[in-house]
Amino acid sequence: MGSQQAAQIPTSFGHELRACLRCRLVKTYDQFRESGCENCPFFKMDEDYERVGDCTTSNFTGLISVMDPTRSWAARWLRIARSVPGCYTLAVSEALPEDLQNLCQDERIPYNPPKRI
Amino acid sequence: MPRQRDYDDGDVEPEEEEEDVYEEEDVYEEEEEEDDHRGKSGRKRRRSDFIDDVAEEDDDEEEDDDDEDYGGGGGGGRRRPKRRTGSEFFDLEAAVDSDEDEEEEEGEDDFIVDGGAEIPDEDGARREYRHRMLPHDDQEEDLEELTRSIQQRYARSAHVEYDEEATDVEQQALLPSVRDPKLWIVKCGIGHEREVAVCLMQKAIDRGSELQIRSVVALDHLQGYIYIEADKEAHVREACKGMRSIYAQKVTLVPIKEMTDVLSVESKAVDLTRDTWVRMKTGTYKGDLAKVVDVYYDTQRVTVKLIPRIDLQALSNKLEGREVQKKKAFIPPPRFMNIDEAREMNIRVERKRHQSGDYFENIGGMLFKDGFLYKTVAMKSISTMNVQPSFDELEKFRQPGEGGDGDMASLSTLFSNRKKGHFMKGDRVIVVKGDLKNLKGCVEKVEENTVHIRPSVKELQDTLAVSDKELCKYFEPGNHVKVISGSSEGATGMVVSVEGHVVNLVSDTTKELLRVFADNVVESSEVTSGLTRIGEYELHDLVILDNKSFGVIIRVDSEAFQVLKGVPDRPEVALVRLREIKGKIEKKGNAQDRFKNQLAVKDVVKVLEGPCKGKQGPVEHIFRGIVFIYDRHHLEHAGYICAKTQSCVLIGGSRANGDRNGNPFSSRFANLRTPPRAPQSPTRSFRGGPPMSYGRGHRGGRGHDALIGADVKIRLGPFKGCKGRVKDIKGTSVRVELEAQMKVVTVDRNHIADNVNVTTPFREPSRYGLGSETPSHPSRTPLHPFMTPMRDPGATPIHDGMRTPMRDRAWNSMSPPRDNWEEGNPASWGSSPQYQPSSPRSRAYEAPTPGSGWTNTPSGNYSDAGTPRDNGSAYANAPSPYLPSTPGGQPPMTPSSAYIPGTPGGQPMTPGSGGLDMMSPVGGGDTEGPWLLPDILVNVRKSNDDTVTGVVHDVLADGSCSVGLGSSGNGDTIIVHPTEIEIVVPKKSDKIKIMGGPQRGATGKLIGVDGTDGIVKVDDTLDVKILDMVLLAKLAHA
Repeated sequence: MGSQQAAQIPTSFGHELRACLRCRLVKTYDQFRESGCENCPFFKMDEDYERVGDCTTSNFTGLISVMDPTRSWAARWLRIARSVPGCYTLAVSEALPEDLQNLCQDERIPYNPPKRI
Repeated sequence: MPRQRDYDDGDVEPEEEEEDVYEEEDVYEEEEEEDDHRGKSGRKRRRSDFIDDVAEEDDDEEEDDDDEDYGGGGGGGRRRPKRRTGSEFFDLEAAVDSDEDEEEEEGEDDFIVDGGAEIPDEDGARREYRHRMLPHDDQEEDLEELTRSIQQRYARSAHVEYDEEATDVEQQALLPSVRDPKLWIVKCGIGHEREVAVCLMQKAIDRGSELQIRSVVALDHLQGYIYIEADKEAHVREACKGMRSIYAQKVTLVPIKEMTDVLSVESKAVDLTRDTWVRMKTGTYKGDLAKVVDVYYDTQRVTVKLIPRIDLQALSNKLEGREVQKKKAFIPPPRFMNIDEAREMNIRVERKRHQSGDYFENIGGMLFKDGFLYKTVAMKSISTMNVQPSFDELEKFRQPGEGGDGDMASLSTLFSNRKKGHFMKGDRVIVVKGDLKNLKGCVEKVEENTVHIRPSVKELQDTLAVSDKELCKYFEPGNHVKVISGSSEGATGMVVSVEGHVVNLVSDTTKELLRVFADNVVESSEVTSGLTRIGEYELHDLVILDNKSFGVIIRVDSEAFQVLKGVPDRPEVALVRLREIKGKIEKKGNAQDRFKNQLAVKDVVKVLEGPCKGKQGPVEHIFRGIVFIYDRHHLEHAGYICAKTQSCVLIGGSRANGDRNGNPFSSRFANLRTPPRAPQSPTRSFRGGPPMSYGRGHRGGRGHDALIGADVKIRLGPFKGCKGRVKDIKGTSVRVELEAQMKVVTVDRNHIADNVNVTTPFREPSRYGLGSETPSHPSRTPLHPFMTPMRDPGATPIHDGMRTPMRDRAWNSMSPPRDNWEEGNPASWGSSPQYQPSSPRSRAYEAPTPGSGWTNTPSGNYSDAGTPRDNGSAYANAPSPYLPSTPGGQPPMTPSSAYIPGTPGGQPMTPGSGGLDMMSPVGGGDTEGPWLLPDILVNVRKSNDDTVTGVVHDVLADGSCSVGLGSSGNGDTIIVHPTEIEIVVPKKSDKIKIMGGPQRGATGKLIGVDGTDGIVKVDDTLDVKILDMVLLAKLAHA
């Protein structure tokens, strides 16, 4: 541990949890609103509250706390090995809105839509 | 490639952070190694980039992927090592073909830079490099630990290559290996899974690297357990120490093979969006179709709209605080809410504005809009997978005021439910959306979501690529198609019209119009019946629905039945689900027609009034004063007509009321005696008191005790298991003529069961001769064996009662079959089972009064048989397919023509006895002759039960035969009465003579015996025929 600055850890475990649609980081809505997503700063969720709703979803499945992404097989399998340590979800069930996908493209940030959609 | 490079550059910023981190980590040997390796692999990439830049020849996709992989994090380190190693030269030289094969690349690197972790010897050398590269590395570790750490790193190095951009194939490369950390399953408090995972995360942050677990997984669908990823079990235990809600007494290792399953939850993620069709899983609406109106992921709830199933009366009672009926015996049928109706019932309706801005009618907490119920339920209580709304359901859903957009929505749902490979090359399709709408074409090629079609318009030469969402299968009227999914799955039929994506087709079996989605149909020449049964209910069963209604199943869909309800005024068809059916009505009811004739199932009736006036057909079901008539000319409702019994008139006389025509006086008495409301079923009349109480002779009583003549099975006593026919009833004892033993026994009435299966087992042909001698036997008619027992009593007295004026009755009874017969549709006789057991035909046969008509009429049928006895063979021959084709020149009075075609199946079972039996009353034994033919081997029975073999030389005019005794017929010639003659049953490969049927007289060879059928090779034609063994006699000169 300690290799990277960990993301914020969710302060609750209930329904207010949301997951980033790009990197699948899980935090509460308020956390996203206050400090955005540690992996996806370009979404600038902390600057635009409405972005939080667009970039995150409460429709996700499973939770994984990754203490050491670089050395975790699970993180590698889930392709979050390069993300900061933190709580992630196994899968989100929504795709990023198209305009934000374009934003990713502009920023040259890879985006993988969820497989089911 | 330029884009690629741009990307790399753009990604530098986050990488830099990472790099810093790495440098911090360098104090740790292991991390440093890690970093070193990253640097190495980064360099590798760099090199390949370099090659790309310079040569620009191997610019393939694979490389792109690789490069992208490295854009993520390794890139930051790539420049440094490259500079430091100063091994550009080597890299350049060696890297020509390296990027294609990772393995190869590794090896190569081993050679150049990286000592190859699996060879410890080289490690020193590599370390030297490292010392040069990382000057601040001053921590020496013993070789062993180093080796271990290198191995660890190496094990991962191959994986780290891949990152977020990997395709599915590359995902396989991420499969866990033995070197990866393991997953351990640990128990935790139910409902605390996420909490535990988050707490462990917090703990890990607080403790820093102390906590050696790598990750914690909490699955939504697995309660009470979490997975912890760590190298060692001890690490797991350490991490769990002091944690609330974790019960780490037992830590179980997850096998490597199952590790991926733990994390594979993608398939469970369901996309619930507005307008998705779902089905309710529980409660009143279980199984009902619903449409998603709103989704609340945070609370895991959805609002759906449904067609309400609300019993307004019950609701009103409840709201007014009146006593609520506790029993929930039935679920109200789905019906749109009618607010006005509710108001009329003094149910309080509030009109409220919902948060969403829409107005809803609120009744007792339930929200309604446009007749629909809007219900918010937990996501768990709806099923979203494979929801295939049936056409009817969608139609219903669309009903009130929801026009085109609803249609569109349903269409899109339908399309999204399409399976892969929905379109195939050669399918005819039509574009239903977009600019090319209504363009027809042929599928040329199918890609993922794109279908290439060749337009059928001449001017358009090229194939067009169209999204499969915009396409719909296209059929033309006249196509013969098969329904491959949906409620009518399996049905086939012909397309009669096409409305957009809806195809109307006429089913092959029911001749009904089916409306199905074009998507669910494929062209096919197949003809199938589709589904005929769900659970215990089958097509044409009479079922009871709820307390009031009942009906006949006239169609079976995959999830529901169509039931023609027992409402006589108008045909009412209800769509019911399996659970809405309370039970099947097996009972064969009786009733009276308008003229107080007894009606029983299978009687042919005519409807005198009502919407179906003039229709006629056999009664299929009788229940509560309603008859269901099957009229095959009636194309609606699968041919079923529902009518009041009082609106019908019996045609041709009822079996169950044998006296009616035969003895009108007794019939009237019977009616007087019998309360008109009580249908006179056999058992009931029995319970009503033995007929003997009328003081008549046993013969007279027969007409009234339905049991007489019935086929029964003896349940108890010494004759247990025997089947027979009731001959007589005296008090509580019954005289039964046993089928198998040709004798009449007396058994207790309670020892018989009268619902025996009517197929009579095959009997030895040798019995036939004997049978005719039994005085009681003649009462059997050949057709009886396959009749239902209750019908028999009517028939029985006819024989015995030859003295009663038979003629009038006989002709009456003949009429229905004759009518149909003369339509020149003999095939329908054979094919429509309704007619087969129908009584009139047998009576038609009996119709000729003894003596006069008898000898003349039947003979007309068979030109080759100049005597009436030929009927015997005709009977026996009933299953022969040739017979029905001969009626052409029949005099209209020939009764036999009427029944022969209708008697396949049951008849062959007892043909011989039948043939003999029915002769007996007529002319006694002396009419037996024509059954025999010259040259056949027979056994002649002498007075003292001895039998002598002989050969028939000649059949005399009176029916007697001249038989030459001895197996070759060379002995004395005697004249024998046919009753004393028994045909010798041929064995396999015997020469035989055919005794009946169109080939009567022909000889042949018996080449095989199959049960009661003999396989015969006919000498003249060399045809192989399957004939009843009864028709075959052994030829003397064989």
